[in-house]
Amino acid sequence: MINTVDTLPAFPWLSLMVFLPLSGALLCLLHTRSERDCRWLGLTVAVATFGIAIWLFLSQQPNASGWFCVEDIEWIGRFSIRYNLAMDGIALVMVLLTTFLQIVSMLLAWPVRRHVGLFFALLLILESGLLGIFLAQDLILFYLFWEVALIPMFFLIGIWGHNRRHEAALKFFLYTLAGSLFMLLAIIGLYVIHGDQTGHYSFLISDLARTELTLRQEYLLFGGFLAAFAIKSPLVPFHTWLPDALSEAPAVGSLDLTGLLIKTGVYGLIRIAFPLFPNATSECLPIFGTFALVALFHAGWCAYHQDDIKRLLAYSSISHLGLVVLGLAAWTFTAWQGSLLLMVSHGITTGALLAMVAMIRQRIATRNLQKLSGLWAQAPCLSALFLLFALASLGLPGLANFSGEILVLIGTFQTRPIWAIMGIAGVVFAAAYMLRLIQRVLWGEPTQAEVADLSPREWLILIPLAILTVWLGIYPATFLKPLETPVLLALGGLP
Amino acid sequence: MNWLDLLALGPHVFLVFGATSLLLLGAWCSKTRVILLSGIFVSLLSALLSGIAPPVDGDIAGLFSAGGYARFFTIFWFLTAAITLMISVRFSIELNLNAGEYVALVLFAALGMALLSSAIHLLGLFLGLEALTLAFYVLIASNRRSELSAEAGLKYLLLGAVATGFLAFGIGLVYTASGSLHLPEAFQGLQAEDGHLRAWGLLGWGLLLTAVGFKISLVPFHLWTADVYQGTPSPVAAFLSTGAKGAVVAGFIGLVISSGSAWKDLSDLLWVVAALTMIFGALGGLPQNNLKRLLAYSSIAHMGTVLVGILCQTPTGFSATIFYIVVYVIANLGTFGVIASFSRAGEEPEDLDQWRGLGYRNPLRCTVLTLLLLSLAGLPATAGFIGKFAIFHAAIQSGLVSLAIIGIISSLIAFAYYLKVVIVMFSPESQADRPSPGEPLEFGVLAACTTAVILLGLFPGPLFDLISKILP
Repeated sequence: MINTVDTLPAFPWLSLMVFLPLSGALLCLLHTRSERDCRWLGLTVAVATFGIAIWLFLSQQPNASGWFCVEDIEWIGRFSIRYNLAMDGIALVMVLLTTFLQIVSMLLAWPVRRHVGLFFALLLILESGLLGIFLAQDLILFYLFWEVALIPMFFLIGIWGHNRRHEAALKFFLYTLAGSLFMLLAIIGLYVIHGDQTGHYSFLISDLARTELTLRQEYLLFGGFLAAFAIKSPLVPFHTWLPDALSEAPAVGSLDLTGLLIKTGVYGLIRIAFPLFPNATSECLPIFGTFALVALFHAGWCAYHQDDIKRLLAYSSISHLGLVVLGLAAWTFTAWQGSLLLMVSHGITTGALLAMVAMIRQRIATRNLQKLSGLWAQAPCLSALFLLFALASLGLPGLANFSGEILVLIGTFQTRPIWAIMGIAGVVFAAAYMLRLIQRVLWGEPTQAEVADLSPREWLILIPLAILTVWLGIYPATFLKPLETPVLLALGGLP
Repeated sequence: MNWLDLLALGPHVFLVFGATSLLLLGAWCSKTRVILLSGIFVSLLSALLSGIAPPVDGDIAGLFSAGGYARFFTIFWFLTAAITLMISVRFSIELNLNAGEYVALVLFAALGMALLSSAIHLLGLFLGLEALTLAFYVLIASNRRSELSAEAGLKYLLLGAVATGFLAFGIGLVYTASGSLHLPEAFQGLQAEDGHLRAWGLLGWGLLLTAVGFKISLVPFHLWTADVYQGTPSPVAAFLSTGAKGAVVAGFIGLVISSGSAWKDLSDLLWVVAALTMIFGALGGLPQNNLKRLLAYSSIAHMGTVLVGILCQTPTGFSATIFYIVVYVIANLGTFGVIASFSRAGEEPEDLDQWRGLGYRNPLRCTVLTLLLLSLAGLPATAGFIGKFAIFHAAIQSGLVSLAIIGIISSLIAFAYYLKVVIVMFSPESQADRPSPGEPLEFGVLAACTTAVILLGLFPGPLFDLISKILP
């Protein structure tokens, strides 16, 4: 499938995009003396990477099988591991989200005072890892990036986190590592089976998808991949690491964690687990749907009872991810488009909310809902934007999450009406906890004497996020269009 | 033995001459640094000599092979000895050791490793192992001011003597059963007509395995490891955990390859040993707060993984094992090198509390340590990952799926203790006492190890090609 591309760009743009942040990180590490330089370097690199992503979006036309660009060379010949990066519409959208949110992260990381060089270097390494995850078509390369993205997050939580950072960092790392090691076993297992069958050893997803597997083998291997992706996503019941990690992580860390890192789990399902094991997938879809609904309700319920805003947002993310997985489990074109769109919108809105939590915390030094009150009276601009993002997050029509949610629900209704009806009930939960959040934070008597409104840097962070929130709500077609072909192809082989 | 044999042994002979003259030189010259530097020079030159010596057909006096496998390990152990001496310079100056003695012992141990790895005769194996062990009896106790060091030396001596006894008795039984000490005849003669091992052969193998188990600390013969590592000065511990274990594994691979199908009778037993070793190595490291004890458990876990590779009984498995050993040796040398570079007058920062916040005051060395620990843990993009990948790949290919799963789970557990060290290094609380700033030779070693770990992690192809060429 990949090898038939005829519109190869001569210049390795994808590699440039993946490795530009990494080289920026090395520069940051070598140049830790000047904090100012590190900040600007980080920002410049992030903007340049975003520029490349935008350029690829505008200039490249997908070929018949939906690939924008492909790079493929042999890497480790002995195990026939290839260095294969490729970008289709789904990857493109994720890449755009990643590179965009990384700019936001850089700006949000501006006030960090301790070990600035290291901090920005880690953010850039994280970006490289994430981009690699979204682009790699060779499973070992994918696994490499998958783990590489883990390390910076471990340090971000472990060094700059809050009081219980060490436990949270270790829990995060070991939890996700447990999943990914089982994925590694499954990768090797699939590789050996494929090689024994065809005599041609390969780790390319497109090659491995042609392996003939018994149903039992499919289940076992699917389970291995699922362990990694379900923990990362995080699907209920593997979600307990996220609230801890999120609440202990520094502001930027939590933004990257919810905005991007947990998306890799769902992306892995779409890109790897589903196409490689179609039979096991179609058997498991009802289970996925059930767990997604459980997540939707359970996490929504938990979110309603949190006092820490970050924990609330963590549960809200789990709940939203439940809706995403519900859409995937419905297995219709509309639902899939909705799921992917919802992933992007969730990244934007929850990312924005987390950024705002950090801003509020800088002013009032608390994230506790019981202690916050009456922000509107003192900081109207900040509060207005907070309201916007919170309303977008609860799914107000015309704002980001709505378009994704409605597509998921419509698409789900086509095949599984019961799920869709329960899904709608679950969305009501989102309204409940979000309204509680808004009410506690914005309305009521002010607790603080004086709270500064937004600074220019904060405006700079929030304005693009606000624009995107409205854009995604009003005209999602910009992002839906590149998704069409790959989604159709992904659904092709199944009911 | 003829002239050709002697030519093939040339590098070894050169090493022995060098070691002996340095031992004598030590009696006149009190300049420790000069003697150590000449020791490094001698071992590097011997490595170079065995690299450029013309290939010899056949074997050396029927005891040792002169093939590619033997030569590869000879070079490798000589280089390991050179690196050990490089990180020993400051240690031996500060403790005012008798440098000639120290250098000579390290070089003799390297010679023992080289001979052990190239043994094709059970007596050659015994000679190599004893040469290496005898040198280590003294080396481990070389820090005479430390009680722990003396304790470690005694422990290693007693258990080493027991292991020697097992080995000698095992060899005797194998000889009784098969009438030969030469490989592979010695082991092929152990088979009865039905393809199974004769009773004497089984007993002999059992005793041999016990000896090997002691040497590379397989469970249940692993209990000495943590105590000995803790008491041993870190340059010697570096050598002990890498060369002494790696050479035994290299020799053991030779035994396994020559044993043929009789191996099947042992594989169930070794399966259990491998699983237990991996699990104990991983679990035992968790509660440790002493870095050297922690590394001891790490080395136990690694030897369990190595055993998985050997158990595969396929060329893929053996080459994965050799790759794994090479990578393990490099990472471990570097890790102990970092500890040695922080040590001052024999006092090493062993307790994890002493590492608190060190990452900010000595970012370079702590980053190196982080990288090497992550390689030992098996994180992708480091050589350790490729090693683990190759072994588990071979294991799954040979149908040892459940062993691979146990290996994966135990490497997950082991990750927890490697990360514990990393977290401590980069936690903000700062300690008052300043560790040593290190010296150029040590930094050179660290740079070499780091480069090797990254390069082998990203481009393991050439080493694998080399290994599959030399595999007997």
